[in-house]
Amino acid sequence: MVAALAAFWPDRPETDWAYTGGFAIACGALALALALAAFAGVRFVAFQRLHRLSPWLFALALFLASWEAVTAKLGLLPLPFFPPPQAIVEVAIDDWRRLAEGIFASARLLATGYFLGAAAGFVTGVAIGWSRRAGYWIHPVLRFIGPLPATAWLPLAFFIFPSSFSASIFLIALATGFPVTVLTWSGVASVKSAYYDIARTLGATQRFLVLKVAIPAAMPHVFVGLFMGLGNSFAVLVVAEMLGVKAGLGWYLQWAQGWAAYANMYAALLLMAFLCSGLITLLFRLRDRLLSWQKGLVRW
Amino acid sequence: MVAPIASDHAVRGSTLTLREVSHRFDLEGQPLPVLDRISLQVGRGEFVALLGPSGCGKSTLLRLVAGLDTPTAGALLTEGREIEAPDPSRVVVFQDPTLYPWRTVWSNVALGLEARGLLPTHRGRVEDALRLVGLTGFANAYPHQLSGGMAQRAALARALVNDPKLLILDEPLGQLDSLTRIAMQAELVSLWQRSNFTALLVTHDVEEALLLAGRVIVLSDRPARIKAEVLNSQPYPRHRGDPHFVELRREVFAHLGLDEAW
Ligand SMILES: Nc1ncnc2c1ncn2[C@@H]1O[C@H](COP(=O)(O)OP(=O)(O)O)[C@@H](O)[C@H]1O
Ligand SMILES: [Mg+2]
Repeated sequence: MVAALAAFWPDRPETDWAYTGGFAIACGALALALALAAFAGVRFVAFQRLHRLSPWLFALALFLASWEAVTAKLGLLPLPFFPPPQAIVEVAIDDWRRLAEGIFASARLLATGYFLGAAAGFVTGVAIGWSRRAGYWIHPVLRFIGPLPATAWLPLAFFIFPSSFSASIFLIALATGFPVTVLTWSGVASVKSAYYDIARTLGATQRFLVLKVAIPAAMPHVFVGLFMGLGNSFAVLVVAEMLGVKAGLGWYLQWAQGWAAYANMYAALLLMAFLCSGLITLLFRLRDRLLSWQKGLVRW
Repeated sequence: MVAPIASDHAVRGSTLTLREVSHRFDLEGQPLPVLDRISLQVGRGEFVALLGPSGCGKSTLLRLVAGLDTPTAGALLTEGREIEAPDPSRVVVFQDPTLYPWRTVWSNVALGLEARGLLPTHRGRVEDALRLVGLTGFANAYPHQLSGGMAQRAALARALVNDPKLLILDEPLGQLDSLTRIAMQAELVSLWQRSNFTALLVTHDVEEALLLAGRVIVLSDRPARIKAEVLNSQPYPRHRGDPHFVELRREVFAHLGLDEAW
């Protein structure tokens, strides 16, 4: 296995070396590092994790190599739309300031909207699940307005709210809040009545029943809602940035497309993928920590 | 041994009075009578067993005693006052252990103390209760890591930690293997002797009822009525092979209409 790695990986720079120097050197250095790591794996346990990843790394190298080949080398794909990988690296290096600003703006907007939406959704969900009166008043509103995509509010929101930033926060919160509300509610409503009986016979107050029985028992549902809300919030974030907020990765995408700067677009897309995937991973980590008592959790 | 929370040792068991208690469920619009005019007087510190076929309404009766439901007719009193709501002085060990899956064994056992705000001052009781049921090594385990019998023992510890005046046991040993079961029966008796609480045990096991209780109330099929009462004043520990015990068992089986088999 290790021998195979050493034999296969160094073949990457050979496809690349004739092109953009920096990219080839970077690839070469990476390949060398990986090859070294592969050898080191024989001796050091820490590097042996790489073995599991090696088929993927190999496939990635193959993909990069063929991408390089069909764009820069053979020119099989129309150029402005499909730039070679080194062009994207170039963008990342030249335009890093604007990209970093974009990431920061997007992250700030998303985080604010998501937390507000998740918190509001959670509280509303618990209220509907627990109190009949809250259910009576909130449920119809939820049924009527909830299924409406948050983006449908976009024109109205930008008109009502003082700034496009606050309007976007509202939209993201709305998109997050609906699934979190519904799933928290169903989680609280499906708590086994025996759980309450136990606590009641042991002298629990209403407060204890809500905080220490209903909410922890509903947490697996709440997390499903949080995941759905996160997915929704990404969609709304991009749309809001494209249409209203003049900042963030979504806006950058739009802007790059306007200038036919396709390499910039790919760079922004890539960053966005990292951002979204990173946040999902973070949420999974949080869930694994809070719900470690559950059997058979899906690993991300 | 779980030490009492209160110090008034001698008078800790409470009395229980059932006056013509009847209960009915609604099953798809059809009334389902489950309890039929049950009258019962349980003295302070007594150990009473309710024996009846499954489905006759034993668990229903215990829920009424616990204050989780109110009877359709009749009244339940403890210490002369009507039972209107659950109270931590009347603790139930349910048929199903129902531990909270998100809590460790330790914090499941600590539940009652935590709910009443007594945990900071009585932490030691949790360990005592765990030791009593033999789960010391599993304090940090989660319920899904326990066997059925261990879960049931944890549920027993969760009840005992509250130092109840009336301990209500709904077939609490039903899921245990026979060895653990015998050990737990002896443990229950010595626990009851030491702490003086009043015990109300529901079971469908004739021997268990006679081994543990001073009085066995035999219930009929649904709707449950009191068919007979068998006193057992034998000292503890009791032995299954003892001629008087065998005689009592025959008597109880006769009340259940099963004399032919014995
Ligand atoms: N909440 C309920 N609603 C309707 N019927 C019930 C309910 N709880 C119990 N019953 C019925 O009452 C009868 C007695 O139940 P239970 O008290 O659990 O019997 P057991 O003596 O086995 O403990 C059963 O026929 C059961 O179906
Ligand atoms: Mg029962």
